[in-house]
Amino acid sequence: MRYLSTLRGGVAALAIAAGGMAQAEVTVLGWPGGPEEAALRAVTEVYNAKPDLAEENKVELLFTSRDGFFDKLQVDLAAGSTAFDVNLIATYSIGRYAPFMEPVTLSDQAGAVFGDTVLKTMQFDGQQYGVPTDLSLHFLYFRQDLIDALLADDAAKAKYAAIAQEHLGKSLEPKAPADWTWEDFVANALYFSQSVNPDSPTRYGTVIQAKNLLFNMMVFHSWPRSYGGNWMDDAGTITVDSEAFRTALSQAKMLFDLGATPPDSTSYEYAEANAAYASGQVAAMVQWNAAASELAAAQAATGTTAPPAGPDGKFTHIHGLGLGLNKAAENKEGAIAFLQWLSTEEAALAYAKAGGAPGLAAETAAKLAADRPDLVQVGEYASTYGFVMNGGTSEKALSVYEAQAKEFTGYWAGTQDLDTALKNTAAAMGELLK
Amino acid sequence: MSQKKRRENAVLASPMVLFLLAVLGFPTVLSLIYGFSDTSFETLTRPEFSGLANFSDVLSDPAFWQAAWFSLRFGVITALLQCALGLALAVYLAPLVQRHGWTVAVLIIPMMVAPAMMGLMYRLVLHEFAGPLPHYLYAWFGTAPAFLGPAHVFKTVVLAETLQWTPFAFVLFLTAYQAIPADLREAAAVDSARPWDVFRYIEWPLMRPTLFVAFFVRFIDGFRVFDNIYTLVGAGPGGSTTSMSIYIYESFLRRGEIGKAMAAAILLFLTAFLLLAIGQRLTRSRAE
Repeated sequence: MRYLSTLRGGVAALAIAAGGMAQAEVTVLGWPGGPEEAALRAVTEVYNAKPDLAEENKVELLFTSRDGFFDKLQVDLAAGSTAFDVNLIATYSIGRYAPFMEPVTLSDQAGAVFGDTVLKTMQFDGQQYGVPTDLSLHFLYFRQDLIDALLADDAAKAKYAAIAQEHLGKSLEPKAPADWTWEDFVANALYFSQSVNPDSPTRYGTVIQAKNLLFNMMVFHSWPRSYGGNWMDDAGTITVDSEAFRTALSQAKMLFDLGATPPDSTSYEYAEANAAYASGQVAAMVQWNAAASELAAAQAATGTTAPPAGPDGKFTHIHGLGLGLNKAAENKEGAIAFLQWLSTEEAALAYAKAGGAPGLAAETAAKLAADRPDLVQVGEYASTYGFVMNGGTSEKALSVYEAQAKEFTGYWAGTQDLDTALKNTAAAMGELLK
Repeated sequence: MSQKKRRENAVLASPMVLFLLAVLGFPTVLSLIYGFSDTSFETLTRPEFSGLANFSDVLSDPAFWQAAWFSLRFGVITALLQCALGLALAVYLAPLVQRHGWTVAVLIIPMMVAPAMMGLMYRLVLHEFAGPLPHYLYAWFGTAPAFLGPAHVFKTVVLAETLQWTPFAFVLFLTAYQAIPADLREAAAVDSARPWDVFRYIEWPLMRPTLFVAFFVRFIDGFRVFDNIYTLVGAGPGGSTTSMSIYIYESFLRRGEIGKAMAAAILLFLTAFLLLAIGQRLTRSRAE
């Protein structure tokens, strides 16, 4: 079909034009803007400066806009674009891009540098599709000053226990956030909400970013996972309509209904939730690790720990950004050589020192303890609490997140009940993951 | 018409025809092919004919009907509000505009802002902790409505659309108002007609055809709304702010259901075309 060839050519030409007519032999399409771009530029300089690197295997970088990046990448890959040899991938979209990419063999050091949990974030169907470059997970952020005041005041403790008794059906004692269960998280959120406790120093006890957006489901997933929830079991049966998801969804719903999260937080995403916490009117929240410096700068008494525990323990959703091989690459040999080098300790350390956030195994992260202490915590949480839902790297993973976002936010906003939300989610997931 | 004249016309029209074929024809043909094919990103270059399956999928999808209902409500309400406000402003401000023509430029400023930018602006302005409006409402009254919460989000997006596009209706009505011959008003004044009677019996009947045009243009625009709602609140909790355009966008790019998205787009086009045709016919019959 001639018109389709024309379309393919047009898309490739546009991609090249957007990148400023890249001429290098190995062209890498990276994640534009932010620390990821700065870190990639830094390691590329290190790689290109190697004396034994052939001129035709030097790396040139290509960046487009972040807006709609993954949608544009999808179209480019599907059109067989040769504008880049190596491209960005993310854990939740590997399955979507896998048909247009080739698995890669990483360096022998990769296992020791990143650890199995982090390498898994770049795997699909048992094959490695990329080098993990940046890792995202969640922290529980809390106001240490508020917690200290609560723990030091017997009258406040009694009120806390009474609120827990009234809304959770059990009397709970305030605790340090590192020891919280999700029930403690809910009790704390209610205690610090003026709608429940008019004497609260903050307007809201927490902020749940609940815009109908797939990334917000990732933040929520640590909650049902700690109750044993998963997308599907080992046999491939969809298990979203479970007691674990019911418990987590109901607990979150209670926070919406009782005014413990801002009433318009059904329109919040990352930036809005951060702004709420930064205003000083929110006591605690679960948020991406990337927000650490921003939140600490806004509220000096901010503490961080792993998300609360459920009966199955503590968990944090993890996903990574990484770089993989375009099936239509024109210089596969050079691209594979670059990717293998990128998975060495030398590259990972250089990437981290330049501002990137790779998920590193404890031993590797320890070498950066002075420069990047945050990566030590990220590496520790990733290896101890990190999880990827069964099916979380599948071809339709993004669509599963989308379906959950639509149904779960509808339940929280009161447009449908829990049974309907879970029934619709299970039906959609059954179609998507069959 | 002579053969030479016809040839000249064909030559002169050909650049525009070629341009339209390139700009509109190619995507239209592609949309039709994909709309009747089983197509995903994996099979973008080898779509397989699937008959009416995509249309059947779309029409049996509750999310499509939810989006259609949202678009219909949004389109009708915003068009009515914009026409009412635009008409009132045009009549009320006509004497001012006649003396100071530059005021029109000020009044149409909202139209100059890209809808996506308008959505982003409201997202900031209405945020409880970062936005100036909730900030002052809290400062003055100790509370503020959750403009983007489930209870108010529909009203908020309607208001945002109305504020941005009322100037469009205003300009149409102002043009129609200024086109009314002055001698009609003078004759009414000689007969001692009151201002309300002048409006009711002279100005309003002469402006009514414009009302139909303004309503249908604004309705179609509201029915296919995308940018400002998507940047402001996205698809909404439970899909509560999903318009037809957002449904198509999410089907295409988020879920990779290209055939289904194209089928929905074709249905949207046919609906808009049908409504426009009805609107034109009504306008013509009213004018006659």
